[in-house]
Amino acid sequence: MKTAKYRAYILVWVGLIILTGVTFSLAGFHLGGWAVLIALSIAGTKSGLVLNYYMHLRSEKELIFRIAIPLVLAVLLVFISLTFSDVVFR
Amino acid sequence: MIEMEQHRDVTSPKLGMWLFLLSEILLFGGMFVLYSAYRYKNPVDFHHASEELDVILGTLNTVILLTSSLTMAISISAIQTGRRRLSTFLLTATIALGLLFLLNKGIEWTTKIDHGIYPNSPALLSRAKGEILFYGLYYVMTGLHGLHVLVGVGVLSVMLVFLLKEKISQSHFAGLENSGLYWHLVDIIWIFLYPLFYLIT
Repeated sequence: MKTAKYRAYILVWVGLIILTGVTFSLAGFHLGGWAVLIALSIAGTKSGLVLNYYMHLRSEKELIFRIAIPLVLAVLLVFISLTFSDVVFR
Repeated sequence: MIEMEQHRDVTSPKLGMWLFLLSEILLFGGMFVLYSAYRYKNPVDFHHASEELDVILGTLNTVILLTSSLTMAISISAIQTGRRRLSTFLLTATIALGLLFLLNKGIEWTTKIDHGIYPNSPALLSRAKGEILFYGLYYVMTGLHGLHVLVGVGVLSVMLVFLLKEKISQSHFAGLENSGLYWHLVDIIWIFLYPLFYLIT
């Protein structure tokens, strides 16, 4: 009876719902230029929870999953943000 | 009947799915860059257009998908410990939540279309340039995402049949696990779509 594992999943879900509530509430504030950064940080944290606990990246044993996948994810993030930053410097 | 102990490679299909997911991230990532560029150049127009979206429906859809990830994760955990009935129930719940998401999206879209706001509509083309761009991105990105949800529902339905026919079991559950990986990615994509379209301040 792995009820402990179910509990972990449910706790992650609670965290995800809370973070959704936070991002929803912050939309009402006037945060100016910080708004996008904060929204993306919250979305990133939620994604991190899904990736690590629901998709088990944290508990994988093989090196390819522990290192290569997160590394490629980071590279993709760099691709996306660098490509965007070009617009800012035109 | 003696069941032959087959050597099963679980890692390769999992790696294959992850590689596919990375390609999906590139696909949506490219669109997110496009969104970022246009939003950067039309901040006010994007804000105005975003206010017309139904935040309640958007938030509801977020909760729906987050919950579907939970039911998916526990469904997999359940079959790994031999709890077939629980796994079946939760997989069915995941599919139902996916369909609910699509229903919600359908309501949102038809409401907008009824108001004359759709790609290339006269009503949309008469608006500010930034708003036209916003709605173009909205329809394409949520549309492509919705298509992914639909495909996910199809894949999970096939997995449900496998589960019922015991082709997926306590000893052979890679198909369900990898389908779950796909489903979680669809959830992650929405996690980013939600604030970027519905919560622009």
